[in-house]
Amino acid sequence: MERKARSLAVCVLVVAASGISGCGISGAAPQNAGQAASVNLSLTTVPTIRSVTVSPAGAAFGNCTGGLASRNTQSTPGKLGFPNGQCFVGLPSPGFYPITITNTGIASQIYVNGTSASPSDGGDQWSLCTEHGDGGPTCSRDDGRMPGTNQYMIQNFSAAGQQTAGISETPTCDREFFASGQCWAVQGASQSEGIELIGPQFSTDTSTKWTMTITWTPVPGHP
Amino acid sequence: MHLRLALSAALGVLIFVAAPAAAYASVGVGVQAAPVQLAGGAHPGGTYALPPVYVVNTGSQAESVAIRIERISRGAGRTVPRSWIRVSGLPPTLEHGQSARIPLSLVVPTDARPGQYFSDVVVTGSAALIAGGAHLGVAAATDLEFRVVPGVVSSAWFAVPSWVLLAVAIVIALTLALMLMTRSGISVRIERMTAGAAAGDGGGGGA
Repeated sequence: MERKARSLAVCVLVVAASGISGCGISGAAPQNAGQAASVNLSLTTVPTIRSVTVSPAGAAFGNCTGGLASRNTQSTPGKLGFPNGQCFVGLPSPGFYPITITNTGIASQIYVNGTSASPSDGGDQWSLCTEHGDGGPTCSRDDGRMPGTNQYMIQNFSAAGQQTAGISETPTCDREFFASGQCWAVQGASQSEGIELIGPQFSTDTSTKWTMTITWTPVPGHP
Repeated sequence: MHLRLALSAALGVLIFVAAPAAAYASVGVGVQAAPVQLAGGAHPGGTYALPPVYVVNTGSQAESVAIRIERISRGAGRTVPRSWIRVSGLPPTLEHGQSARIPLSLVVPTDARPGQYFSDVVVTGSAALIAGGAHLGVAAATDLEFRVVPGVVSSAWFAVPSWVLLAVAIVIALTLALMLMTRSGISVRIERMTAGAAAGDGGGGGA
């Protein structure tokens, strides 16, 4: 019994000693003790910015049609007529899409939205309406397909087609951006688009200069 | 002759349509992809500094930049009220390629409901407005996330670490006790006795 215990103790000592020596600990101090050494390393990562670029920064409407000649409110090529005249940036047919939206950052969903139209005299605005009232007011004429008084509608178009329901004031997926109907865009992906504006039935403000903003936004998400 | 007229007309239409659009440079903006998050929970009534948000002008000209809080992307939690986020140090314009880190602070009202909150920090960039035209704008969004936990924070001093408050409380309590003892005439005498003397005293008592 006593021999067994002694043997066990010897084994433990041997194992402990071998473990310590395996860890590189020894009685003799290393020759370069106390001298620190370092290696400089550099690392490059991919950019993690979410960004978008739109060219040009602004555009004037043209190719206006519609309105009533009998009331002397018919559209002229550069001026919107009433009621419900239409003007274009670019042309759906033949296809001319002068606005280029490019995702210059990481893969994101591209959303689009518009704003109310502001007159140059600061008077009554035209609210941006859509056919189904998604993210804003519903257009009040022709079952939502035509704007009413002090309303206007914006539809964007591209080679992929035209979004007839209209752009709303709330940012929503720009389905023109990707042919499959999604709005997922990888870095460097771009889309050329045009814009159609359908004016109000009537405007209570008599200004002849109006300004509105259409904004594209890359948003976090998944394909 | 007809062909030449048709070509001229087509060219004229193209120039008419394209010229207004070509007159402007590009507009672009970028924001950090990493979400803006608050480390730890926020208490109702507290004010917290959020990590500054990185903004860059990726367009070809100077732009005015603005920041707003809006829920656009999908995420879990309550929508962050716009009034809870304060933006400071926003430069009026950013030159082409210029970037900035914009400080944000979170001000949680005392009646805020506990739970997870989620919205987007939306940075918009825009060039000069064009009267009578479509102004094309850009924006970029990144997530904003934080959690409100129960426990009202009444004022800023309460934000000091709890061990500091405990130490201050102990010092005040000891000072008060000392003052009371001095005024009441109670005195405490501390004596040191050796072990041998204590044993001798004990033995004498028992005899």
